[in-house]
Amino acid sequence: MRATTAARPLVLGPSLGRATAVIGVGIVLLVVASLGSVAMGTSGIGPGQAAAIVVHRLLGIGAVSWPASAETIVWELRLPRVVAGMVVGAGLATAGAVFQAVLRNPMADPYVIGTAAGASLGAVAALLLPVAAFGWLGLGLVQLLAFAGGLAAVAVVYGIARGRSGVPVVTLLLAGYAVSSLLSAGVALLMFTSGDRLAAVVSWLLGSLAAASWPRLVFAVPLIAVSFWLLVLRWRNLNALLLGEQQAASLGVDVEREKRILTGLAALATSAGVAISGTIGFVGLVVPHLLRLAFGGDHRLLLPGSLVYGAALLVLADLGARLAGGIPVGIVTALIGAPFFLWLLRRSLAVTHA
Amino acid sequence: MKGNGITMAPTPSPRSFRVVAAAPAAHLLAACGATGGDSAAPSTSAGVDASATASAPFPVTLTDARGSDVTLTAAPERIVSLAPSNTEIVCALGGCDRIVAVTDYDDHPPEVTELPKVVIQTQVDVEAVVAAEPDLVLAAGNELTPTSVIEQLDGLGIAVLTLYPETLDEVTADIAMIGRALGADTEAADLVDEIEDRVDAVVAAVDGADRPRTLYEVFHAEGTTYTAGAGSFLASLIELAGGEPVTGDAQGVIGAEDLVAADPELVLLGTASYDPSLADPTAALDAVRQRSGWSDLAAVRDGRVVPYLDDIVTTRPGPRIVDGLEALARAIHPERFD
Repeated sequence: MRATTAARPLVLGPSLGRATAVIGVGIVLLVVASLGSVAMGTSGIGPGQAAAIVVHRLLGIGAVSWPASAETIVWELRLPRVVAGMVVGAGLATAGAVFQAVLRNPMADPYVIGTAAGASLGAVAALLLPVAAFGWLGLGLVQLLAFAGGLAAVAVVYGIARGRSGVPVVTLLLAGYAVSSLLSAGVALLMFTSGDRLAAVVSWLLGSLAAASWPRLVFAVPLIAVSFWLLVLRWRNLNALLLGEQQAASLGVDVEREKRILTGLAALATSAGVAISGTIGFVGLVVPHLLRLAFGGDHRLLLPGSLVYGAALLVLADLGARLAGGIPVGIVTALIGAPFFLWLLRRSLAVTHA
Repeated sequence: MKGNGITMAPTPSPRSFRVVAAAPAAHLLAACGATGGDSAAPSTSAGVDASATASAPFPVTLTDARGSDVTLTAAPERIVSLAPSNTEIVCALGGCDRIVAVTDYDDHPPEVTELPKVVIQTQVDVEAVVAAEPDLVLAAGNELTPTSVIEQLDGLGIAVLTLYPETLDEVTADIAMIGRALGADTEAADLVDEIEDRVDAVVAAVDGADRPRTLYEVFHAEGTTYTAGAGSFLASLIELAGGEPVTGDAQGVIGAEDLVAADPELVLLGTASYDPSLADPTAALDAVRQRSGWSDLAAVRDGRVVPYLDDIVTTRPGPRIVDGLEALARAIHPERFD
């Protein structure tokens, strides 16, 4: 299996100026999307009032000229949702970039070696358990079991794929596929027996930021931020891995140790995101590819770019989902993202073969 | 809040309970758990329909279907109803003008169709619920209102009562609970008495009659029939109405083989309430005869396939459930209601 033939998306050699411009545009996009998301909603609290409320809450200035419900809507509903969109989108896109590099496979996404299936099984089991209210650090049982399930699935996959001479990437992918299938069968079985709770299960599996709250963010933000920072610090090793494991080793990279650390960090970011949002698809697959098409595959730029564009894409998609009457955001990411990605693919073909 | 200086002795006629009270809006905020206590919500009501103020002292603590204890510091004046059955209970107790938002399924009483809708296609718009500034939200249990939404509203400090009655007794208990919440105990007691009298009348009317094996078709798609679930509310109503319910599993699904084995003597097509093509008895009989295995059912052979047009009141656990029971009894035992 020649997974390394994914030549173009993983080509090195960025143009720093171009990358800076692209990331700059992404930051502007993210800011606009975030402001728009705080300013827009179904209740008719407009941009001016929303801004006044945020300024009042942050800085304590300005006279209160709004009903308390407006403050609740902006501060407790819209803002946590925007922050959750940023954090989850950033985490998924970064993890996607890392998995694509470690596995040297363009089809890899954050869920490829078991995080999604493990988190889903955990969450669905929690949804169906006859346990009433259970909370810890502001998290429910659903979030905790989803987080634990995602990490546990990756640990199991990694353990299965480990041979005497390390963890072959192909074995890792295949073990991930098989374990995911097994766990998904468990999810399907639970769904079949879930009866009246099926709606809750389906809604979790489709992914949504509707239940975002500050306590849940206090859990997820540090995990994703720390994972991101540690991943960015390893950009040289990620670049080296793109050349193939033997070349990386000859460059002095401890390949097996590096793969273990990178997989663990990416799985941590993914599981933390999935725990608070459900399995939102497409962001983690597409954003790294978009950026490689735009400025190449140097991880020093690719990871920050993924952070910015993953955040912007998910915030935008969630705004669309909210304004479209509360449809699951995972549907929107695919509906908007897939055609856009296809257009970009076609365009890049036209450019390179002209 | 109860200290407005307005107390009055209970009077027999509900109409005479109209009290005009100056209504400070502070309790709206108190119940909303508003974070900015330095602002005042605009007071929308100068005249308050404080039904039976004297008989229901506040604060009152109620335990709902989720087992949550909900304390109301004053009679709620801004109610958001997340289920049509909840709306009907509030309106039947004279609290219709306190409802500020409903669902897009709400159709009774007619005036509620004019209200803002915060549940569209079963999706609860939490932002719109908060914007309605409710001092009480009435949710529905069993995931009809998603648990995540109930927990979110709860977390915002909004009082949420969840109703999920699964028997007639639980419907009347919920009516009594809402009566207590509204400060309308007397109206609730009267309504419960009326419902119980009418239920007794139905039971008396069908007493001693043969009990036909009755299949109530909730939904049918490509060979899968949904009927009353085993032990369900609907099954218990069919029993009260003098029928022997043919039941499916807990979700109401009955397999083709089980259906033929159960051999219903009477089929009530609840789907006819929504599908005009089934409203004509001859057309309905022709339609079900096409289904594999159905032509041999006793009900089909004897032509006892009845388009049933009262599905909404029969399956909506509000005060009109007794209308549904009466309709069921008339459909199962027309001879007893001539």
